Amino acid sequence: MTPEPEEPGAPAGPDAVLRALADPHRRQILRLVQHAELPAGQIAAHFDLTQQAVSQHLTVLKRAGLLVERREGTRRLYSLRSESLQPLRTLLDEFWPDALARLKQSVERTHPRTERRGPT
Amino acid sequence: MISASVRIAAAPEVVFPYFTDPQLLVTWIGERADLDARPGGTFAIDFAGTAARGSYVAVEPPDRVVFTWGIPHDAVLPPGSSTVEVVFVADGADTIVNLTHRDLPTDREPSHRDGWEHCLADLVAAVGPSR
Repeated sequence: MTPEPEEPGAPAGPDAVLRALADPHRRQILRLVQHAELPAGQIAAHFDLTQQAVSQHLTVLKRAGLLVERREGTRRLYSLRSESLQPLRTLLDEFWPDALARLKQSVERTHPRTERRGPT
Repeated sequence: MISASVRIAAAPEVVFPYFTDPQLLVTWIGERADLDARPGGTFAIDFAGTAARGSYVAVEPPDRVVFTWGIPHDAVLPPGSSTVEVVFVADGADTIVNLTHRDLPTDREPSHRDGWEHCLADLVAAVGPSR
């Protein structure tokens, strides 16, 4: 029984994805593996960090569903799991619509019309 | 690029100041606003734990307002690096508010910026600086 799933079946929610992205090193890792599958050692070579620190970053990204890990012999290869960004796109798509919905509420509450229109 | 629109049961003259008057703006976005609604004037909103900073580019009541949008001290999305354009279209007694949030001059952006980085920049704009 492994404590952490190697490859989550479903994309993580936006919170897990946002937490994983809230670190410049982890964002850099994602850029590195965006178009190419790379072994951990090659990823670590881009950073002034211990292999262990890089390994921890990889774990966080994996748990958030942002990385796919593939074993090839003794090597572990990582690549971006692009569909995991979907929750973020959804979040982005909701930011302004949410704000505008509040705008609508605020204006219409402050400037009520006598003849109300049906919802359109 | 992010687009959003909403129909509001009020005339554009009523809706427009909600993008230029600090007291009206904070009724729907942010907690504190410092606005100087003229081209070049300050556009500053404080949210819980973060801030959006920019300046007005165009102020054309009651039809259109354009302001820049960014996050102070953020390398990915500094103030001035993205633009929000809001167009107010009268429809009968209502107003259709069309909002478009896009990145600013592509000539200022390195050509290698791709969709993923755009996505990230937009994310930072949407949720605040990542620290």
